[in-house]
Formats: sequence, C-alpha cells, structure tokens
Amino acid sequence: MADAVDGSLADGGRRGWAIRHWAGLRNGVVILVVWEFLGRFGLVAGGALPAPSAILARFWLDRGDYPEHVVATLWGASAGFLIGNAIAVLAGMLFVLSPVASRLSRGINIAIFSVPSIAISPILVLTLSGMAPRIVLAAISCYFVTMTATVIGLTQIDQRTADVIRAYGGGRWKVMRLVRLRSAMPVILGGLQVAAPNAVLGAILAEFGGGGRWGLGNYLLGSLGRADPARLWGIGLVATAIAGLAYLVFALISQRVTGASRAVTVTTSVPPLRAAGGDNTVAKVLLVAGSIALPLILWWVFVKALGVPELIARTPYGVFEHLFLLDSSPAARAKLLQALAQTLPITLVGMAAGLAAAFLLAVSSRLYPGVTRAFMPIALFTQTMPLIATIPLLVLLLGRGWSVTLWITISVTFFPAFITLAQGISMVPRAALDVPRAYGASAWKEMRLVSIPASLPYLFAATRLTVPRALLGVMIAEWLATGKGLGNLLNQSRGYLDYGMIWTVATVSVLVSIAFYQLVVVAERRVLGRLGMQTAE
Amino acid sequence: MSAQRGIRIDNVSKTFSARGKRIEALKNVSLDCAPGSFTALIGPSGCGKSTILRLALGLEVADTGSVEIGGEAPRNATSAGVTGVAFQDAALLPWRSVEANLALPLDVLGLERARYAGKIASLIELVGLAGFEKALPGELSGGMRQRVAIARALVTDPSVLFLDEPFGALDQILRRQMNIELQRIWTETKATALLVTHGIDEAVFLADKVVVMQSRPGRIARVIDVPFERPRRTNLFSDPRFHALNDEIATVLHG
Repeated sequence: MADAVDGSLADGGRRGWAIRHWAGLRNGVVILVVWEFLGRFGLVAGGALPAPSAILARFWLDRGDYPEHVVATLWGASAGFLIGNAIAVLAGMLFVLSPVASRLSRGINIAIFSVPSIAISPILVLTLSGMAPRIVLAAISCYFVTMTATVIGLTQIDQRTADVIRAYGGGRWKVMRLVRLRSAMPVILGGLQVAAPNAVLGAILAEFGGGGRWGLGNYLLGSLGRADPARLWGIGLVATAIAGLAYLVFALISQRVTGASRAVTVTTSVPPLRAAGGDNTVAKVLLVAGSIALPLILWWVFVKALGVPELIARTPYGVFEHLFLLDSSPAARAKLLQALAQTLPITLVGMAAGLAAAFLLAVSSRLYPGVTRAFMPIALFTQTMPLIATIPLLVLLLGRGWSVTLWITISVTFFPAFITLAQGISMVPRAALDVPRAYGASAWKEMRLVSIPASLPYLFAATRLTVPRALLGVMIAEWLATGKGLGNLLNQSRGYLDYGMIWTVATVSVLVSIAFYQLVVVAERRVLGRLGMQTAE
Repeated sequence: MSAQRGIRIDNVSKTFSARGKRIEALKNVSLDCAPGSFTALIGPSGCGKSTILRLALGLEVADTGSVEIGGEAPRNATSAGVTGVAFQDAALLPWRSVEANLALPLDVLGLERARYAGKIASLIELVGLAGFEKALPGELSGGMRQRVAIARALVTDPSVLFLDEPFGALDQILRRQMNIELQRIWTETKATALLVTHGIDEAVFLADKVVVMQSRPGRIARVIDVPFERPRRTNLFSDPRFHALNDEIATVLHG
C-alpha cells in the first residue's frame, strides 16, 4: 500500500538538477572570462577591478601573510559562533516555555537585532581586551538569527502531536523534549547556516574597532591605504570563501536531518482558540516597561561588572550627561545632529530604492520565471559574502563620494529583500493563481489580483530585515570611505579618544535602528491587520 | 486489562473567545458512558463534539460542570495511563519508526519501554502491520498510518479509549475496512470507547449509543440506542434496519 515513487518523475528531477547546475557552471565561466577581459584592459573605474588572474597572482605573493590572519579571524568567529548560538538556542527554548520571559526580553532582542555591529565594535574594544571583543561581536551577530529560528522551529510544530503528548498527561517540558526539539532541528540548522557568515562578519568588524595585529579585518584595514586593488580583492574573496564554506557545511548537515522531519500529512485542524478571559492590562504595561528597562539595566551591569574606569566606560546616564548636562553638550549635540543629517537621508533613499527594485523584480519574476532562476544564485551568493569584504571593493569601484554610500545601501537592501520576496511569492498556492486564470485573466491582472497582495507580508518582512543592514552598510562606508555621517563621527571620536562621543554615537545609532524597526512593525500590523493577513517570518 | 471505567460528563459548559467574539462551544452538556460501552458523538462542525473529547482528556478545562473518568479527574486519569487516544490524521512523529511511535505514550508516562516490547509487537501484529516495525510514517500509506495511531492508543492497555475522527482523512472504502478492524480490536480489549465522527454510518456501525449534537450553542439533541447484535458484519451496511437508523439520525441532525 506504500506510495511508490514515480520512477520517471525522479529521473526528470535529476536531469533538471544536472541542467541547472550545468547552466550555473556555464554562467560562472562566462562571468570569469568577461571579468578577466575587463580587468586586463583596466576598463572599470580606471583599473579598480583587477583581473582574476591578477588577484590570484597577488594572492600567491601574499600567501605567507594569510594563514595567521585567517586563523586569528576564524578563532574569534568560531568561539563567538559557539557561544552566541548556545545562548540563542537556550534563549529560544526559554521564550517558548515561558511567554513572560519572551515578552520581557523583547527589548533586548530588538536591540541586539538592530544594533549596527560597527557601532558597538569600538565600545567592545574599549571595555574588553584580547580576543574578547571579536568573540562577543561574533556571538552577538549570531544570536538573533539563531534565536528567531529556534523560536519559529519550536512553535511551528504539528499541533496534533503535541496533543498526543498532553493527552497522556505530559506537560510543557515533555512536549519540548519529545516533539519540539527534534521537530525544530531543520529550522535551527537553517538559522546556523545564516549565522555562520554573520559570525565571520562580526569578528572582522571587531578587528576594525582596533583589535590586535592579526585577523583579516586588520589585514584589510592595513591594506586599504596601499591602493592595491588586487590584494583587497584577495582578502575579500578569502573572507567570502570562509563564510561560504561555513554556510555550506550547515546546509549539508540540515539536508541530512530534514528528511524525516516533515509531517506526512497537512494539518487540517483550525488553530486553537484562546479560552475566554482577557489579558490583564496592568501586567501588560509592566511587561512593556520591563522589556524597555531590561536592556538599559544589562548595559549598566555590563559596565559596572567590568570595572573599567568611568571615563572610558559610560553608563546610560553617562551618555545622557554627555549630550545634555555638560558645558560641551551643545557642541556634541550639534556634531551628532550634523552626522545624523548626513546619514539618515541616504539610508532612507537607499533602502527605498533597494526595496522597490527587489519588489518589482520579485513580482515580475512571476511573469518571467527565468529572472528568478538566473538571479537567485547571485542573490544567495551575496548573502554569504561578508559585507565588510565587499565595501572596500565598492569604494574602489565608485570612489569616495555619496554615490558609493547609496550603492552600498541599495545592494545591502536589495539582495535579502529579493530573496525574501521571491520565496514568499513562490509560496502562493497554485490554486489561488488558478482561479483568476480559470476566468481568463491576463498575466498582469493575475499579478494585480493575487501575486502583489500575496507578497505584501513578505515586503514588510524584508523591510524589517534590511533596516539594520542598511544602517550598518552606510556606517561602514562612512567609516572607511566618505568621511561623513555617523560612521565617520565614530571613527573620528575613536581617534580623539572622545569616549563620551563613542558611546553616544553607538547609543544613538542603535536607537535610530530600533525606531525604524518599530515604525515598520507598526505599519505592518496596521496594513496586514486590515487585509486580514498574517505576518511572515 | 485493568478495572473497567466509565466516562461521566455532568452539566458541562465551555466558552471560547475568538477575535472578540464569544463562542459557546458547549452548554449544559451531560453524558454518561457505561464501562465497556461504545459511544459515538456526531454532529456538524463546531457543535463541540471534539471539545467534549478534549475536556475528557484534560486538554481543556470546563468553565462549569465536571468531567470524570472512572471517578477521577481527567488529568489524574490520563497521567495514570488509564486512557488511550487516536487523533484525526494519525499525528505520528515523522522521525520515529512505527515501533518508536507506539512507544511514545510510554515515554510520556515514564514507563520502561523494554517491559512493553512484547506488547508493542503484538499490537503491530493486531493491526496487521507486521514487517513494518522499523518503517517511518512517511513510508506508509494513509490507512497504515491510521492503524499505527490506533495501535498506539492501545499500548497502555487503556480502560478508556478516545477516538477523534480517526478515519476522517480516509476514503469511504478504506474507512469501512478500518471500521470493521476497529470493531474487532475493540471487542478484544473491551475498553470503554468514545468516538467523535462525521460519518453517520460509521457511528451506527460501531456504537451502542449514538449521541447527536447541534451547534450554537453546542448541545446534545438526542441520544439514540443502536440495537444491532455484535459482532456486526459487512452485510449490516446493506440491511434496511441499518438504513432506517441512519435516516433517523440524519433527520435529527438536520432538524
């Protein structure tokens, strides 16, 4: 009675796989040849794009330098990866077991998600020593992705199996142990897959903040002034390779595990209704207040526990004092506002452009499926590429003006948004598309009636996702290249040992990011609520 | 099997709230299932028949009234291993083999698997799945998965057996086969059975007593006794008395 796999179908699938991979290989070769040609003759930005052969030759000359830099970065990244993910998985389990803990930690979670890592990198270097800043930043870069994946994996279980456990008197912990943990494995592994390149990026960014002598970040920073594009490309590609390998390892593991975890039937049960009796308003207000206070308390505890002199390590009050209570406060405020006025508009414009482009391309990919197929591999590749490796290259290509900032923001926004949207649109059930088609709707009408509305939740999800990335991209560009805005102010203050300003810029950039994020969340709830849609994760 | 236990539901009401609206899932429902009897609950969607079963399993708590299994509160009865349950769509853990899925209630109740190895083997035999002990649910057909679910419900030697639309996802032909098998299995165990179903003929074929429910608010409209002798055979499906009883229930349902 077992369902036999249709032989011809499996065969066709394999052939399709071969064709896709063959096409990918062919495209790769074409790109390499064109690149070599462009590089050889210095056709792009006056030779800022070196030929692959030149990069390889440079890499060979530098081969003695790499091992120690790579080992140093890998060490920080892997230690951070292990610690950050362990905390993330445990936190995810706690949030699922205890809704109160989850609501109390909302502030911390959003702050960690929104923190542009470059903003806190100087702070970590000031307050910690040795490898610690790299490990902490790598851990922070992993935390949110893995924590979210854990929560999603643990909650999106087959409700019916949980009922079986409860029907035999099993409590929350038994459901966790027997159903949730195993069922969440594929999602958690998917999270680790994304967290791995994040850890590499985090470690490199911490090196930027002034780490030791070794590490790819230090190597990159040291080589930036030498105007040797081939070496910068070499470092960027090595960093990408490390991140890509880490991504691949977890992709392979998760492929192995996923097999047996899919539910064999589709749940048909209606989601359980909440028993009558509403929430207590006082408790709600307390939880919100707690979730706002908790990050500040943690900050204060962190500073106090380290025992770093008060001059260097500022508390939340210290930042407030710096901005409002001292004689130098008006000057500090003016500097900060000027920087904000430079950073914010370009971030917003870049994000809007990136999101709009991603939305248009993703929606129209329904009409031209070839677009997604051709574009997805490139988009996925850029996801494993640590931002930090690409930005110096973009600076080389585009110079140090405002256009480089804009392009960085667009590229940082566009790719993740495109992936989120394209995947979301591909999940629109066939049946929903068949209805307009059965009434003879044109492709455009079908898009207007089904694809575009259906992709709205994913547009919001993509926006939420890209807010901190956009700010991070802009700040890195400002730090490294343009000499404007918040990123530059941070770098300058570091140079002047203006500790108050370092903490202030870090705090303000996190607050800006959180404010953006919350705005998107509010808009999302309003719009989707009115349309009767669910938020997409 | 241990001592026989019945199910007593006494004047139970239960309200849910969804998007601001209050839904009376059950209003003043009373039902008595004698030890060793087979009762079927039938009614339209939303009449609260599944809620009755969930209350009896301690998955929900009644607003008013009381539910007892063999004189005990549901939570006590379930955690003592007195009850067995099979849900719609099997609800098997996809990463556990047939054997390991059967052992799930043992893991929850903290019973030693090794002591039940013989029991598990004989149950797999009983539901006709010998040779599939190591198979994963994804490798089984819908009917086979459902039989695993029934076998799992029996692993603790329950004296009370709950069946929530266990064959809801199967086609009519397979469903009849499973009905006949279920009757055979139930006859061997003699547990008190409570079946929630959408199928009138399924209810009449299996039960001693069919409880017809209506919705808004969820309540019992009528209790109809089924007089046919056991064991009931396939030819009952074409018996005029069987059809007359089906029609009577249909009239109550639509009234």
